[in-house]
Parts: sequence; structure tokens; C-alpha cells
Amino acid sequence: MVVDPAQSKTQQVGAGRVAAAQGPGVGGGSAGAPIRQSNLWKDAWRRYVRNKAAVLAGSVFVLVLLFCLIWPIVSPYDPNAVKFELKNASPSLSHPFGTDNFGRDMLTRTAVGGRVSIGIGFAATLAILLIGVAYGSISGFVGGKLDNGMMRLLDTLYGLPYLPFAIIVLAIFGQANFWTMVVALAIASWFTSARIVRGQVISLKENDYVRAARAVGARWFRVLGRHLLPNTLGVLIIAIFLELPGVILGEAFLSFIGLGISPPNASWGQMANEGRSVYRVAPHIMAVPSIAIATLILCANFIADGLRDALDPRTRET
Amino acid sequence: MALLEVTDLQTHFFTREGVVRAVDGISFSVERGRTLGIVGESGCGKSVTALSIMGLIPKPPARIVGGSVVFDGQDLTKLPEKRLEDLRGREIAMIFQDPMTSLNPTLTIGTQITETIRRHYDVSKQAARKKAIELMEEVRIPRAAESLDDYPHRFSGGMRQRVMIAIALSCDPKLLIADEPTTALDVTVQASVLDLLDDLRHEHDMAMIIITHDMGVVAEAADEILVMYAGQAVEQAPVLELFDHPEHPYTEALLGALPQIEGEGIREGRLTAIPGRPPDLINPPAACRFAPRCPYANDNDTCATEMPDLREIRPGHLVRSTHPASEREGARRGAGVPA
Repeated sequence: MVVDPAQSKTQQVGAGRVAAAQGPGVGGGSAGAPIRQSNLWKDAWRRYVRNKAAVLAGSVFVLVLLFCLIWPIVSPYDPNAVKFELKNASPSLSHPFGTDNFGRDMLTRTAVGGRVSIGIGFAATLAILLIGVAYGSISGFVGGKLDNGMMRLLDTLYGLPYLPFAIIVLAIFGQANFWTMVVALAIASWFTSARIVRGQVISLKENDYVRAARAVGARWFRVLGRHLLPNTLGVLIIAIFLELPGVILGEAFLSFIGLGISPPNASWGQMANEGRSVYRVAPHIMAVPSIAIATLILCANFIADGLRDALDPRTRET
Repeated sequence: MALLEVTDLQTHFFTREGVVRAVDGISFSVERGRTLGIVGESGCGKSVTALSIMGLIPKPPARIVGGSVVFDGQDLTKLPEKRLEDLRGREIAMIFQDPMTSLNPTLTIGTQITETIRRHYDVSKQAARKKAIELMEEVRIPRAAESLDDYPHRFSGGMRQRVMIAIALSCDPKLLIADEPTTALDVTVQASVLDLLDDLRHEHDMAMIIITHDMGVVAEAADEILVMYAGQAVEQAPVLELFDHPEHPYTEALLGALPQIEGEGIREGRLTAIPGRPPDLINPPAACRFAPRCPYANDNDTCATEMPDLREIRPGHLVRSTHPASEREGARRGAGVPA
């Protein structure tokens, strides 16, 4: 089943789209000229590609992902192999990012650490969305007293400071590994996505087609799963890229203060932490993972920006 | 026994400003295979009546506070929601006013038709798809098989309304409620959709309730007409009787507001509008609700203080007025529109 979200919005652009599809200079009367068929994703892609910053950010993002995935496999160095004779070596031809205070190759460690950081980032974002979608859609769909209660609870939880909460959760787990990090990061940051989904569901459920679906006997789970949630997909895709930087930064912060992935395994925050003690002698050890984090976050923000414009047909320009 | 029997239906909206008596004691029945037209101006309770039958009124704030809706021997107002859900689409189907927004933009036409079929019948996807193509052909959508995988935005308003009709017909309902099915369409498309509805009604032997504010639409489509005003029935009669001998001053005024282009005794000059506005349905006065706008009412009448009863002025012709046309002094018949 192909779900095509926000097709609703394409109605509004229909006229403009056809005009654009026929292209400038092609007279409306040119008989037989096929009208190019277009759909939301093609349109969105066209608008996204027009945004130079978003394209650049997207390319860098993909390159970083590919580097993290592929480099550890082809790298001649073991990311955890200690070589004290090479410690704190500056960037060179054999070690483009230098080595750290244990003599490990920074380039390989950055790739391995990136896997962990980005992996945790995506997993936690996914968890945030799942919790947010479940909570927000139930709250918005049922409405009334339940909605009120659920939202007041959310308001209360909103007051919790995010990082201390994550620290407490990690302390309760006792040890940090990939999955406990995901839980710790997700547990205190799904509130915003729950609100987004609730708002969407509330506005969508007043649509005529929801009433029409109910008039032919559709049950609540069908109405919610088939008619409401697919229509929120566009917003959710943007939300992923808006949440991602915060989560990656959160992971880096937790690792930096020593609550994250335990050594010798690498993550960007933890690498930066290791570089902290030698930053006068070997500043590159701290700089490399920090730049990596900053790059990724910057890219995610630009991508979110580009997607928002691309998926919202109202910002379309011909 | 009639297929649908609505008795003294009362649907009220409980709002902060007070209780809105949107539907205040409506009774009618629809026989198998017959068409009832419900006419009235905006806000008179036509749609709420339809939604009350379907059990789709928004609760809260609305609630059915009295009366019964007996469909095929069971009172729908007392059925649990689960049974109602099984009934909707299967036994009673509804089409809505605005076809542009009544289809989910994220699902293909085919999906939306087949899902309804598969909701009520235990059939395979292929079988449902085949049935969907038949339905699309039945509602005269060109290239039915290819259009099945198109999204609604590819369709014009008239075509979408046909899709809505196909969905409504997919489970062969016994009763089809059409809530202003042609209001959002242009006039030429209106006529073809009305013709289609009429043909399909005969083929499927359905009963139909057609709700509209357009006298022309009911004249064409209905066997019997119920005129609503301010939440109440003010006149009910077979279609020819109503158009030829309107009794209630409101019905007369509605017909008087219609343009005529041919026929005997054609009216000339400006169309007559009804002065004033419908009453507020929060705490309406205990008088005839049309009295303030009625050209025949005066302050000495009983209708300024009491609600007139709905009475049978001729066999099959009900009217709620103290001044029906045939009892007026020097009764001058309102110009009837040839039906």
C-alpha cells in the first residue's frame, strides 16, 4: 500500500503545478503536449533540490554516514589497538586525523564513534517519534477529558530538565550501553513530538473524509491508522531532523561527562572527553570529534529546513 | 411497515450559551424504494437530522434527547456504537456535501472503495477490486480500471462525487442519505449527478433521503417532501401536491423565491425574498417559529403565543400553521412551480 502523505496539500498547488509542468514558453494550446504527471514526492524533490544549502547539507550528511559505515571495514587500523609510541601524533599522511593519547588512529575511531553517535541519535529519535505518535494520537483522537488529562501530565513532564533526567535514568540502569543510552535520551524528549502529533490529529479529525469514513462503518483504529496518521507523515519527517541534533548533542554531552559509552568503545562525545586532558599538547584529539558533531548537527538543521519548505506546498515558488 | 420511521426526533446541542434545539420533534417515514426530500434553509436542522439517523452527531456537544429512529425494525438511537458501525455503510450509507474534502487525499480511489467493501464483506482483495471497478463503471467514471489507482486530486468535483456515490453503493445499502449531494457542483454537473442517483436508486431498489435547500433538486428527485424550518417540520406532502398547493406561508415563500423561466401564469418582476432571519434556536419562544416573518400573522393570532400543531389538512398533506393557504380569507394561491 502506497501511502502518499500530504497529498491534501497538492490540491492547492494543482493549478500552479500544471502550469509549471507545461513549462515556460509552451503555449497552453500546443495540442498533444502531454501534461507531465507529478506527485507530492516529485514536487518535494524538485523544491528541495532548489535549496542549495539543503542540498549541500544533505550531501555532507550522506557522505558522513557512508564514511562511518564503510571506513571501519576498509581501514588498515584497529580502532582500539593501542600503540603508545604513536600517542598524540598530529595529523599526517598515514594518520590523516592524527592519533589519540593511546596512539589509536583518530580517523578510524571517528568513523566507529560516528556509528555509535549517529546510531544512538537515530534510534532515540525513532523511539521519541514512536512514543510521541502513540501518546499524541490517542490524546488528540479521543479528546475530551482524557486529552485534557494527558496534556496536563505532559505539561508537568515538560518542566523536567532534560539532561539531569537522562543522567538519573542512566544512573538507575547502572551502566551505559547503546540501548540504555537510547532509553535515557528518548525518555525525556518525546514531549514535543507528542504535542505536534496531537495538534495534527485534532485538526485532521475534523476533516470531511474522516466523517465520510465513519459513515461507511470504519472503526476507530482504521480512522486513526488509515486516515489520520498518514497525513501527519510530512510533519513527522521534518520532526525527525529537528529532533536529531538535540539527541546527538545529548549523547555527546552524556559521553563527555563520562556517563555514556564506556571506553575503549568510541563515541564522539567520549572521544572529545578523552581529548580534554591533553588539549594543550594535542588539540586535534578534541577538535576532530567536536567538528564532526557540529557538522552533523548543522547538516541536520539545514536538511530539516529544506524539507520543511519542500514538503509544504504553500512555500512553493515556480 | 416503513423502512425508516423517525418519530419525534429531538437532537439538542448543549453549548456554553445554552441548549440549541437543532432538531426539535421531527417525524417522518421512508418506505422502501421511495425518496424523501428534506428542504429548508441553512441551519434549520436538515443535516443534523441526517447525522442523527446515522448516529454521527458530534457528541458532545450534541445529544439525541428524545424520539426514536426505527430502521428495519430496530431503534438506532438505542443501538450500541459497535452495532451501529456495522450498520453504517452496510445498511445505511451517506454521501456528503463537499466531494472535494470527503475523500482522503492520501489514499487511492481504489483503496477507499475496496476498504469499504472489505469492511463489511469477507472477500479477497482481488474480488473487492473487481467489485470496485464495476461500481466505478456503474457511476459512469470513464476508464474505471485505470482510474482505480489514482489519487483523489486527479478527479474533478463531479467525478469525486461519483466516487463518493460508488463508495456509498458498495455494500448495497437499503437506505441512502444524500446530504446536499449537488450543492458544491456546477449546475450542469448537478443535473448529471442527480440523474445518476435516480437511476441507481431504481436499479438498487434503495430508499433515499435527499437533503437540500434547492427546491429544484427535490422537485426532480423526491417522491415526498418535508419542509423544515427552525428545527421543526412545517409542511409535508407528496411532491406534486406540495408544488401545486403549498399550504404553509414558508413553503409559499420558498417557492416564490424561485425563478421561473417557463410555464403558465409565469411570475414577472423581482423575486420575492423572505424578510427577517430564522429565530435563534436557544430558548425559542413558545410561538409559531415562523410568526415573526409570516406575512399573515398578526399580534392577535394564537400563533404569536402558542405553537401550532402539525395537522393533516388534506390526506397525506401535513402543515404546521394557523394560516394555511386554503384556509386564508380570500385565499390567493401562491404561484406554483410546475414540477
